[in-house]
Amino acid sequence: MAIEVLQQVRVIDAVAGTDRTADVLLDDGMIQAIESQITPPEGSQTRSGQGLILGPGLVDLYSRSGEPGHEERETLDSFMAAAIAGGFTQVNVLPNTTPAIDNPATISWIREQVQARLLSSLSAMPTLPRLQFWGALTLETAGQQMVELGDLAPHVVGFADGKAITNLAMLRRMLEYLQPLQKPLMLWAYDPSLAGHGIAREGVNALKFGLPGIAVMAESAPLAAILELLQEIPVPVHFMRISTARGVELVQTAKAQGLPITASTTWLHLLLDTNDLGTYDPNLRLSPPLGNPSDRHALIQAVKSGIIDAIAVDHQAYTYEEKTVAFGEAPTGAIGLELAFPTLWHHLVEAGQLTAVELWRALSSQPLACLGKPNSALGTETSRWILFQPDYAWAVNGQTLKSRSLNTHYLNQTLQGRVVQVG
Amino acid sequence: MDRLKDLIDMSPAWNRRHVLSLSDFAPWEYNTVLQTANSFREVLSRRTKKVPTLQGQVVTNLFFEPSTRTRSSFELAAKRLSADTLNFAPGSSSLTKGETILDTAKTYLAMGTDLMVIRHKEAGVPHAIAAEMDRLNSGVGVLNAGDGQHEHPSQALLDLFTICALLDPANPRLELLQGKKIAIVGDILHSRVARSNLWSLTASGAEVHLAAPPTLLPKQFADYVKASDTEASSDGIDRKLFIHWELEPALQAADFVMTLRLQKERMTSHLLPSLREYYQHFGITRERLQQCQPHVKVMHPGPTNRGVEITSDIMDDPDMSLIAEQVTNGVAVRMALLYLMGGGKA
Repeated sequence: MAIEVLQQVRVIDAVAGTDRTADVLLDDGMIQAIESQITPPEGSQTRSGQGLILGPGLVDLYSRSGEPGHEERETLDSFMAAAIAGGFTQVNVLPNTTPAIDNPATISWIREQVQARLLSSLSAMPTLPRLQFWGALTLETAGQQMVELGDLAPHVVGFADGKAITNLAMLRRMLEYLQPLQKPLMLWAYDPSLAGHGIAREGVNALKFGLPGIAVMAESAPLAAILELLQEIPVPVHFMRISTARGVELVQTAKAQGLPITASTTWLHLLLDTNDLGTYDPNLRLSPPLGNPSDRHALIQAVKSGIIDAIAVDHQAYTYEEKTVAFGEAPTGAIGLELAFPTLWHHLVEAGQLTAVELWRALSSQPLACLGKPNSALGTETSRWILFQPDYAWAVNGQTLKSRSLNTHYLNQTLQGRVVQVG
Repeated sequence: MDRLKDLIDMSPAWNRRHVLSLSDFAPWEYNTVLQTANSFREVLSRRTKKVPTLQGQVVTNLFFEPSTRTRSSFELAAKRLSADTLNFAPGSSSLTKGETILDTAKTYLAMGTDLMVIRHKEAGVPHAIAAEMDRLNSGVGVLNAGDGQHEHPSQALLDLFTICALLDPANPRLELLQGKKIAIVGDILHSRVARSNLWSLTASGAEVHLAAPPTLLPKQFADYVKASDTEASSDGIDRKLFIHWELEPALQAADFVMTLRLQKERMTSHLLPSLREYYQHFGITRERLQQCQPHVKVMHPGPTNRGVEITSDIMDDPDMSLIAEQVTNGVAVRMALLYLMGGGKA
């Protein structure tokens, strides 16, 4: 690709907080300049940017890869292809794979796999996302025994199990031990005993649909307990999968007290709620469960105000056989890498609930901030970008999705908006 | 209650392919079921108890969750309508061999099933199968015979029929319940029967009073029949529902008392301290029923735990207990449902 000027394209700079129309000079896919008007250099190509939006590459804070262990659900190839197709130029992989990412050797093995495939199966991909790993906190993410955190630290973006850690005594020791390691810690506030056999957020909808309820306190009680530990041991902690209005309140209070915490919710908790469970779609069986409408509204407001720093995809692939069961028997989780941005754009930005900058921030610069990583402004050397076409209509199906599994509520629907180029 | 009369008067022809929930049943639909069931009750009192209505049609009982009573009732209903019946039993199924619920349903579709009667221990399975049948354009009707804790529409309809037929055997109809007080006592949280009954009984203008300890009757039940975000109900029916954490206010001047089965597991999940204490506070005894109307009738969807939710003495008292009538009427009501659902296809 030679020199190209993308003319009069809408440019969102999440770091600078700007949303403007400009010319963008690209050299071999790298942004060289963004100006209101650029005179095309000699020999360059021009392209109209009308109807297109250019912004920073998206960063997914946490998702699961099927490989290693469940290649029938998702391979690293399909996972990375799905990420790029959805505009994610960086993905942070959760460690609860099989085997778990609880030692440096597993990470080396995965990196070798990717390297080897660059010459074969991955060679057709024009670009790859940056792949980073969360290191497990406990061996096999079983919540029993601390991993060798010090050995693993240089190889991982941070520590998380991707599951609830219920042993507060162990958590206390981990927080203490992690203090000198300078790595972010990501926790999920969820109490399985309070959740019991529940499968949907407690409330009148769960009662009507006959779905056993999970009380809000299954999130708020462990969240309050962990925040209490952080009063004594002020380690930076990211709270993943905040899903309730009460959870938002607790995060807000803790931030106001100056605790070094950040928080995220998932795209589906912003888009859907218990009103949508009347279909009994097993792809809506999530953990934590979808909130009630009041939870969803509180989460959207919290993203807007910054109480919730980031939106994660929490992509979890399951095969047709695994998900074609009763709602209550389905494994929890859904795919989302290719679906999150277009649906959030359509339902939150176009509907006026979030600005374009607010959404883009929550999916790019803010996830990096949660990881303690610096942000580079759009157009600087390390920054990656995506081109999004909001009026691009496409059908969600096995042909259009790169992901190996199709476990999504949006299957067979027509969506508006697609990422058309990644740089 | 002219509003109810208006809702009933605008009764078009039955066009409901599936019966999955009573949440969207209109008053005229209840009356259609009641009137149809009453004609079948008459058929069942004849010497020849069979009609040729569904001759040549196949009714399949897909009971993923084991059941004897409901399955037998549906089987008999289908046979009385001269349908051929198939029974799917989970013990001998391929579900353990990796077949999905949709595969099972499609197998029976391929055998020429016209109506599927479905029970599953999880909520929503009849919905999933109905959606798949519609997607395949099969024309198959699905009847929910109990899905998890969600609903059990045919049980609620036979309860409704039992009450209305008692009040006017010649013309059982929804309007007969106006001004009546009906108490539902017991494990409401886990009951699909109660969830269906809440829709049907409140649709009639009756006052429905729920009574159970708070662990079995969460306060959100007070909003059960309301639309999700407004005070009024969504279908224009003025529904009257009250919840009580004590038995007495529910029983006072009640015309009908429905009790629900209490599963013994409720103790191990910390919902109740003991069966003994439950019986002390919520057990239906002759003495407690004195607070009700003198003509009070007691109902139970079965199977009962004698001496836990109800005393044997009441259960076996034909002047008080409608339990046997419920079972008998169950066949007529299920015939009515199969007839109405199969009618469109025949």
